[in-house]
Amino acid sequence: MGEPLIRLRGVVRAYTRGGETIKALAGFDLDLEEGGFYALMGPSGSGKTTLLNLLGGLDKADAGQVVVDGQDLTAMGNADLARWRADHVGFVFQGFNLLPVLTAVQNVELPLLLTPLPRSKRREHALYALKLVGLEDRAHHRPRELSGGQEQRVAIARALATDPKLILADEPTGDLDRATADQVLELLVRLNREFNKTIIMVTHDPLAAARARTVVHLDKGLLGRIEQQDAAAPAAEA
Amino acid sequence: MPWHLIARNLLAHPVRTLLTASSLVIAVFLICTLRSLVVGLTAGVEGAASNRLVVQSAVSLFVDLPLAYQGKVAQVPGVRQTCKFQWFGGYYQDPSNFFAQFGVDADRFYESYPEVEVLEGDPAAFLATRAGCLIGRDLTRRYGWKVGDRVPIKPTIFQRADGGAWEFEVVGIYRSRTSNVDDATLFFQHDYLREALEQGAASGPPGVGVYMVTLAPGADLVAVSREIDVLFENGPQRVQTTTEAEFQRQFVSMLGGVPTLLGSIGGGVLFAILLAVLNTMLMAGRERTRDLGIIKALGFGDGVAFALLMLESLLLCGVGGAIGVGLSLLSAPAFRQGLSQMVPGYAVTDETAALGLGLSLLLGVIAGAAPAWRAGRLRVIQALRPEA
Repeated sequence: MGEPLIRLRGVVRAYTRGGETIKALAGFDLDLEEGGFYALMGPSGSGKTTLLNLLGGLDKADAGQVVVDGQDLTAMGNADLARWRADHVGFVFQGFNLLPVLTAVQNVELPLLLTPLPRSKRREHALYALKLVGLEDRAHHRPRELSGGQEQRVAIARALATDPKLILADEPTGDLDRATADQVLELLVRLNREFNKTIIMVTHDPLAAARARTVVHLDKGLLGRIEQQDAAAPAAEA
Repeated sequence: MPWHLIARNLLAHPVRTLLTASSLVIAVFLICTLRSLVVGLTAGVEGAASNRLVVQSAVSLFVDLPLAYQGKVAQVPGVRQTCKFQWFGGYYQDPSNFFAQFGVDADRFYESYPEVEVLEGDPAAFLATRAGCLIGRDLTRRYGWKVGDRVPIKPTIFQRADGGAWEFEVVGIYRSRTSNVDDATLFFQHDYLREALEQGAASGPPGVGVYMVTLAPGADLVAVSREIDVLFENGPQRVQTTTEAEFQRQFVSMLGGVPTLLGSIGGGVLFAILLAVLNTMLMAGRERTRDLGIIKALGFGDGVAFALLMLESLLLCGVGGAIGVGLSLLSAPAFRQGLSQMVPGYAVTDETAALGLGLSLLLGVIAGAAPAWRAGRLRVIQALRPEA
């Protein structure tokens, strides 16, 4: 077995709220393999989103080491982290987080502005990503003209646009109905299986977690049990 | 850099953007117009010749000097040329058609005022025609006069014995290359006036308002002034000799604090608009917190977030300012025509246009600074929190 894609050692992240220090992650060791589909589960305040933010370089650990694809994120400055995010990670958020003033294809194209690709190539890549998520016919629609499921699929296309190894999804189905959530989960499964994307998904939803290959449980900032699920469960009945 | 986001963000709230930009257009238009008024009022000072002195009565500008003074002034070392300037104070047809008229020495005028260029007519005809006059090109636009026309001017000071108007024949149309002489003045031969007074065909003060003195090259301006003043220290009329700039400044000071008042109004307008634009940009910054968080999450740096807000502010203010400057330039001919009696030197200069545009951009920088700084420092996880 080679080096894991993600290696966390002794990771601590604490916040001060109302004069009280809260340890969101209280000393954490974890290895995650490339090509895996991980669901992070646990009650609110267990540290799931904090962990996801650290893995995505959106936040920095107070102590310990976060190494992703051989690069120590804890040693990077803000500017380096921004560049690293652009090159290595795609984000999918619960609230979709598309820019309302841009069309679907322009939203997908946004991270490609940070690459040396010429304009025509950027557009080509963005349209391809939209095709992968089945929304090429909605390319020129604004987010407000799309359904929730379509918005999330555009967000997934945006996460894919730069072809990152790692896709981090924070409650990607939290704002969707069951049927639409299943479509989005199916898409994530496909990205994992067909394109070998490493997917780490925070979720409260056991049905969503059932689609992952590995479920990592967190509790009060500590690592709980890790469940391997040999074959991802099929979509639940709508 | 996602350039397209800047314009799209501005267009996301078209009414707000339009209102803010419109307030800027009006403000910059007002500032340019007010400054052009001040420039027009002080044009004589700015454009004054450095080699000319003005000899006037030490008592008041409204007290005439004896004709005999001219020869004595001409004898002062350092004086190259003297030229009479007598205020006529008439009007054309109706008192509302008021403009400046001066009786001058026709044989010395061109040498004293090399900045005056005759555009139409024969320059020599001014000396050859007793009742001839040179008119500024603005008067031709205002009244449609042309070379050869006879122009009746009703007097207010020099009443004719027959009670009628003075008739001058237009022999030339001039323009001035400098702002100290406006293009809305009528110059006629002082001898024409003097002869009428001497023959009893008209009545009025027999002297001269001022003598314009042109210095010889290398002459000491201060020494010549002092010598002229000393020459008439014992009367019969004491004189005061000043530079042309100082002389022009007297007229500006007669306006009291008008230039200052106009400047204050402009400053007030600018400050009010700064608050309006600042409010717009602060609102834009707050509304865009989540968008900025997304952009940063995707890998754009703090500098890009800063630039997005700053450039948005600059674009808003720059476009508003440019339109305001454009309007002031477009309306300048109409203002020049309308204000030709009060402010004949009204002009939107390049400096005024640059100032208008520069102030707009400065407003943009000031209004954009706070939201842009906040955008640059914004942390992604704070920006993307559900309550953000």
